[in-house]
Amino acid sequence: MRKRKFVTAVAVALGVALTATACSASGSGDDVIKIGTVHPLTGVNAGDGAQLENGAKLAVRDINAAGGIKALGGKELAIDPGDTKGSAKTGQSEAQRLVSGGAVALIGSYQSAVCANVAVVAERNKVPYLMDICGDNSILENGYKYTFRMQPPNSRFGASTADYVKAVAEQAHRPITKVAYLHENTAFGNGVSKAFAARAAEIGLTMGPSISYDAASVSDLTTQIAQVKSSGASILVISGYYRDGVLAAKAVQTVKPNLDAVVGAADGAFDQPQFPTDAGRAGNGYFDVNYHINDKSKKGQDFVKAYTAEYGDAPRTGAALAYDSVMVIAAAIEKAGSDDPEAIRNALGKTDVTPVVLSDGPVRFSETGENLSTLPVLTQVLDGAPHVVFPEQFATKQIVFPAGPGR
Amino acid sequence: MSPTQTDTNTLASIDEVEAGTGARLMKNLRSSTPALIMLLVLVALFVAALLRSGSMAITGQALLTGIVTGGVYSLLAMGLTLIFGVLDIVNFAHGAFLTVGLFVTYQVVESTGWNPYFALPIAIAALFIIGMAVQFFLLHRTMGGGLESQLLITLGLSLLIANVLLMIFRGDPLSVNLTSDPGVNILGAVVSRSHIIAFVGALILAGVVYLVLDRTPFGRAIRAVAASSQGAGLVGINVRTVYAVTFGLGAACAGAAGMLIAPFTTITPTAGDQFNILAFVVVVMGGLGNVMGALIGGLIVGLVEQLGGVALVGQSPLLGVFLLFLLILLIRPQGLFGGKSS
Repeated sequence: MRKRKFVTAVAVALGVALTATACSASGSGDDVIKIGTVHPLTGVNAGDGAQLENGAKLAVRDINAAGGIKALGGKELAIDPGDTKGSAKTGQSEAQRLVSGGAVALIGSYQSAVCANVAVVAERNKVPYLMDICGDNSILENGYKYTFRMQPPNSRFGASTADYVKAVAEQAHRPITKVAYLHENTAFGNGVSKAFAARAAEIGLTMGPSISYDAASVSDLTTQIAQVKSSGASILVISGYYRDGVLAAKAVQTVKPNLDAVVGAADGAFDQPQFPTDAGRAGNGYFDVNYHINDKSKKGQDFVKAYTAEYGDAPRTGAALAYDSVMVIAAAIEKAGSDDPEAIRNALGKTDVTPVVLSDGPVRFSETGENLSTLPVLTQVLDGAPHVVFPEQFATKQIVFPAGPGR
Repeated sequence: MSPTQTDTNTLASIDEVEAGTGARLMKNLRSSTPALIMLLVLVALFVAALLRSGSMAITGQALLTGIVTGGVYSLLAMGLTLIFGVLDIVNFAHGAFLTVGLFVTYQVVESTGWNPYFALPIAIAALFIIGMAVQFFLLHRTMGGGLESQLLITLGLSLLIANVLLMIFRGDPLSVNLTSDPGVNILGAVVSRSHIIAFVGALILAGVVYLVLDRTPFGRAIRAVAASSQGAGLVGINVRTVYAVTFGLGAACAGAAGMLIAPFTTITPTAGDQFNILAFVVVVMGGLGNVMGALIGGLIVGLVEQLGGVALVGQSPLLGVFLLFLLILLIRPQGLFGGKSS
């Protein structure tokens, strides 16, 4: 009996935990144009969700301070927030709630599984959805008409990482013997690692072991790093999230594999401002190929200053992507001279917003909705902070290579 | 004392109160073929990992990491099984208690600059008090009732704790860093010193809990209440106090586990979730309410997680753990060290 009680309790609790959803009232009023945000404000990803949300709020503040939407007589923008809690199902119901509440566009959502569900809502309701962070290629392979992406897709990260690693090693006259890959085992990690392997085969890099792990449950990566060590690889590429990125760095510090470099491929940790603090000495010299705030542009510097002043915290690139997303939508409303979702969608491709995030010119979208101006860059942790080191025209510090642990 | 209690699948059946859990465990170990099967499973996994990786270094590393992480699972599961064995409460806030232990450690280090290990007694005391208060004020009135109310209270409590922590500390990952945490070489495998401290600390604390239960008058009272709360009440034991202290003790185990893993984990309001489910698996595996079973179950889960991760390439390391869990439910549903099924 007791056994049954225990097992029943576990089953019921899992059910409750999975179906718990929020019902929060949204403010209404016709004097503002509402943009719905669908971010994880609570749950495991709440830290990043808050950054994204803050970035979007900052953009709205800037636009309203500059006189609102001029084409509509200075009408102001407002954020209508939705909390996905990191769950695709909740994200979908939140998106539906926001659209029903009068949001003329959606931005979000940080996790690809959530984005895929929100995109369905956007398409069904014919409301433009601008994905700030969402790497999964397959979302935009559905022939969607209202869904657009700001960040580079996973395939782009994988291919760029292979190219950058090879270029940097050649520059340093230090041939790569073998590349080991450690990645988390959902669409993100699998997608990036596959794209890397494909590109690596094209440009002649030898691949070693490809090791996957479950980011949600992993509490130690020592064994995986021991596998990397015994493979004799000289480069370790990692695609993971923040918490497991720190675990990986600490495991590398303990096991001390004979590496020339640890390189993140769109890794969620190695280019973050707080990573050097959390990882300590273990994080020295780590590379990451990621989207990044343009530290060299005045716009980028102003954004960092404004964000830090407003929220008392350094912005991560996600915050900048959300900021850029709101700016693009605002520009589309301005261009269309209307806050009708269909008109906004049609004007999205005709704006000339230069993003805060490093890019190859103003935001422009492909047929499928990919942002063609995105530009992944290589960052490296040097002197306790991540800096852009490659490509050279964006570099703010000299690259250090080899930069393996224990060197 | 007359053996009226027939449910032997508990922390303390009547003969156990008389004979002591140690003797019962030995009896079970001798008579239990499942323990042998378990050993065989582990050996098979070891061989599979060795064949798959083709490297003794990797397999040895998995073995060492498995034992060391398993020790922490043991301590955590011990608290969970204690609460279930005595109070019959399935505590879904257990992972959240571990999270509180992490944040207590963070706050102590942040405000004093001490070495994080000084936070151990503080974390234990804090969670002991929180646990007592939760049982005394929140859960006591539901005792003996249906399982739904306790379930919803503890589940609600875990959500409350996570969201209060989110409100106070925000969602950004935090950490407490040791000034130095060198890797220690053990027969070719390495493990960081903080992991060793966590393992040894967990074993010592688990031993203390075991001794308190097995050798002290208070432990005897706890076991008596577990066997029959009504009977214990009749002989003058304050059942409500015993319940509260037991829950406090269980929560303190989670708090200690949280402090011990703080130096090598990332501290977020939901950090305990990943350990919650593992603790439940350990508890069922070790036999519901069996403290010693939780200790051994924790080590097994740690080993299966690591060896399985090497043997089953490309899968979640937890796959092996859940396969084993199913196997145990099939061949011995009362758990490895539970008595015969009731």
